[in-house]
Amino acid sequence: MKIITTIKLIKLSAAFFVVSIFTACTSTTVDEFRQGETGIESDESVVILGRRQASDYGTRSEFVECVGERMNRGENAISVVPEQEFVDAMFPWFEPRTAPLRTRDLEQLMAEDVVARKMNDFGIRYIVWVDGFTETSGRTGSISCTAGPGGAGCFGFGTWEDDANFDARVWDVGSLRNVGTINADATGQSYLPALVVPIPLIARVEANACSRLATQLQDFVNGS
Amino acid sequence: MKLLNATNNGILRKITVLFIAGLLSACGASNVVIQGNFPTPNINKIPLSVAVYYDESLREFAYMEYSETGREEINIESGLSHMQLFDAVLPAMFDQVIPVTSLEDAASRNVDAVFAPAIEEFQLALPAKTKLDVYEVWIKYNMRLLTSEGDYIADWVLTSYGKTPTETFRSVEDGINEAAVVALRDLASSFSLSFAQVPEVRDWLSNL
Repeated sequence: MKIITTIKLIKLSAAFFVVSIFTACTSTTVDEFRQGETGIESDESVVILGRRQASDYGTRSEFVECVGERMNRGENAISVVPEQEFVDAMFPWFEPRTAPLRTRDLEQLMAEDVVARKMNDFGIRYIVWVDGFTETSGRTGSISCTAGPGGAGCFGFGTWEDDANFDARVWDVGSLRNVGTINADATGQSYLPALVVPIPLIARVEANACSRLATQLQDFVNGS
Repeated sequence: MKLLNATNNGILRKITVLFIAGLLSACGASNVVIQGNFPTPNINKIPLSVAVYYDESLREFAYMEYSETGREEINIESGLSHMQLFDAVLPAMFDQVIPVTSLEDAASRNVDAVFAPAIEEFQLALPAKTKLDVYEVWIKYNMRLLTSEGDYIADWVLTSYGKTPTETFRSVEDGINEAAVVALRDLASSFSLSFAQVPEVRDWLSNL
């Protein structure tokens, strides 16, 4: 009986150890800058759009989707219009070259009957512009793999650092003003030790940035 | 037993043929046919009847990307997707759009103008070569607007650009396709929004 309990304890400790490795690898900082009052009615919705104007990167649509899905969950769930559905319905006004860069541009855009009507049909109260990317740096170490008649295996160690930095600007479609900016910065060190089999210990920086940004945006839009 | 051997030989032969075909295809250039969905623009229609003519060079347009050693690397076919794009955009821009098979055919139709787009240049930038984490596509067009008799109304250059970030499990072909679709959407947006602002077109429209 005692042996079983000891084995269970060892297993539990090992599990905690592995989990602690995964969680200890990432640190996330969220900054909020509020410029106006917010709040949303049950029949209103939010659209999250990725900025794709920079020459050397484009905000990944998967990240935008992730933030939208998370904002749509939980107690304070907010109705989020999918990015592609909105951009297609608004075509050609929200393409990378034609999308409004400032709230002044949005004001001009809303003067177009077609745009104002579509915006009203979707019930859009806030437009959230997400801009950012994940950068990998400090790659060190090496892993070599060999295969022979007796079997195959890898040996070595690799490590790298990921930094996910995303800004979310919230535009109020009612007042045509920028009501705030939220920044999420997540950094983490990933490890890849290989002793016969490579064991990836990946820092989930983008997933953490998405989760924290979505939670903060949810509270921000709800006005809490 | 003989039957079993014959069956095995057949399977072996098929595997050998497939293996050789696989080896041969690995040596040649890969082919990418651009595919995408193009939404209809939400813009005000111009009350015109326009014939559209796609010449053979546009219909069959293909671009070959070469490796640094001069080997044929990727063949990109985008003629069909260009036609699909214009077919989605033009009916939203004009009251009536009539596809024609030749410029002579347009003369027999009672149209206000004939639109004949042409691709002048296509450029591709791959992450492996630029060391950036994006696939990029540039396309330069020559847009021509003619009278139904074939006389010149306007002739202007339009460029489009599209990029898409690299993804862990995204193939090179998918990356190129995504970037090309973004470039085609860019063409549709700038063409549909700037058409009436082209000086020659603006002058022609004001004289109608």
